[in-house]
Amino acid sequence: MRPPNVSINGQARWRPASWPSSGLMRRRMIWGYVFIAIPILWLLVFSLGPILFSGWVSLHRWDMITPVAQMPYTGLENYDYIFTRDNVFPKALGNTFLFAIGGVTTNVILGLAFALLLNTKIRGRTLWRVLYFLPVITAPLALGVIFAFMFNRNYGVINNLLVALNLPRQGFLNDPNQAMFVLIAIAVYQYVGYYIVIYLAGLQDIPQDYYDAARVDGASYWQELWYITLPLLRPVMLFIIVTNTIGALQVFDLVFATTGGAPANSTMTVVLYMYNTAFKYSRMGRASAMAFVLFGIILLITIVQLRLFRDRTTA
Amino acid sequence: MMQERNLLLERLGTALKYAILIIGAIMMVFPFAWMLDASLMTSSEIQRRPPALYPAEVQWQNFTQLLDVLPFGRLYLNSLIVTISTVIGVLFTSSLAGFAFAKYQFPGREVLFYIILATMMIPFFVTLIPVFYIVRQLGWIDSYQGLILPSITSAYGIFLMRQFIVSIPDELLDAARIDGAPEPMIYWRIIIPLTRPALATLGTFVFIGSWNAFLWPLLVINSRDLYTVPLGLNTLRTFAAEARNLNLLMSGTVLSVVPTLILFIFLQRYFIQGITLTGLKG
Repeated sequence: MRPPNVSINGQARWRPASWPSSGLMRRRMIWGYVFIAIPILWLLVFSLGPILFSGWVSLHRWDMITPVAQMPYTGLENYDYIFTRDNVFPKALGNTFLFAIGGVTTNVILGLAFALLLNTKIRGRTLWRVLYFLPVITAPLALGVIFAFMFNRNYGVINNLLVALNLPRQGFLNDPNQAMFVLIAIAVYQYVGYYIVIYLAGLQDIPQDYYDAARVDGASYWQELWYITLPLLRPVMLFIIVTNTIGALQVFDLVFATTGGAPANSTMTVVLYMYNTAFKYSRMGRASAMAFVLFGIILLITIVQLRLFRDRTTA
Repeated sequence: MMQERNLLLERLGTALKYAILIIGAIMMVFPFAWMLDASLMTSSEIQRRPPALYPAEVQWQNFTQLLDVLPFGRLYLNSLIVTISTVIGVLFTSSLAGFAFAKYQFPGREVLFYIILATMMIPFFVTLIPVFYIVRQLGWIDSYQGLILPSITSAYGIFLMRQFIVSIPDELLDAARIDGAPEPMIYWRIIIPLTRPALATLGTFVFIGSWNAFLWPLLVINSRDLYTVPLGLNTLRTFAAEARNLNLLMSGTVLSVVPTLILFIFLQRYFIQGITLTGLKG
């Protein structure tokens, strides 16, 4: 028996998402639940549940061996500790900010410059794009290994180049004043290609008419850039700043592969320190508190981003 | 006179443009080239002062020596098993849930979808400790399950597939229903073929992410038989801390980055598409 189709067609689209009336609709509703069952269960067990659990753990002292029901409640003690008595965490937080701000600023400017170049009349655009994109898909761990070799104090190609130019050797990753900047440079190297591609997409969305009109009025290239391109790229730039900041605040692999936080904790970042606190020193409560502090910062950035986007779309 | 000068300026501008692009491209490729170069040198060539710029004789045996230290065949196999299972899992659950959210009406749909959107904002590191604990309670430490199962759903993937499936006309689904097709068959025969571009994009991203993943495998895997490529590279890194093995370290790095590079060169269209598609609309 085939079900009658006329009424289903009409109703399915206009009915609001409430209890369906016909038996057929109800059967279809059940399929909807069946299809989302596993994904929702999985997100509950491996994402939503854990974040609540993590918040709970941050209020306790826990070594992951004591049964969960018996971990001693300590209130906000862990948060108090990491900010007032821990001598590494504030430093790690500062390092992480420095890493994010340095990398994001450079990416936003450098990415724009190269995207503008690639958006002009140019030969082999695909080839350029591929070349600039290669580091993006390479494992940060592998890049860390390569750059640790290149920046090596004794055998590194960069120091040898400096010597060849009669310049003094640098400590780079061994120098507490330089190491973080080397890491920023590596991170820019890795991700600038990604932002070039995003900028290019944004540039290609700008209608050519604007430029034609500006040219009729005799605008120079720089005037076009300042009065047309940059204002219209604002949403793209905002997107790049936010995603890049959120990503950079979570850096782990690169630091792990190059310095491990050394020298003198000058490259220690929040996630790396959290990892050490949890899995080397078995202090799950403190580590969870660190995770929550960073999470709060990321959430704040996300909310600001949503606000800014909404303002732009409604304005 | 004036025109000549303008033409000259324009030529100069073009030359400068290409010069900057070429310098940039060289900087992008140089680390890879240097890695390959060093992977074919002897260790004394690397340590010499000034060091050799290229191997006097290409040292292919570095790679055979490397395989004695680190069983790369096994690493590749493990990484492939984990990566392919993860990709299949994410594509399946994302398209299924995306389909349900796009094309079915059921109470709680809006609320659940908002929960999915909220889940997208949860960074990996916040759930690291609890997920590790759960995986340990489930007895999945040091196993493929432990590597694969926690990451077979992605809130982002569900969101992406839902946005894509919404634009498929209802008439197509209804026509199949009139022919008596059951709902799972509609998913398999209509939704999957029509979402192929989105699946390809999502798949390539998940593939790269899973192949390059390091922190989670580092926590979950202990035995060398289950090492993925990044774990292998990490052991090699500690092994080669002394300068005399830097050439082997570089050959190991070559072997670990080559698969993603090859994949990218063949699938670069999907990457670029994917970024422009997902990045801006996100």
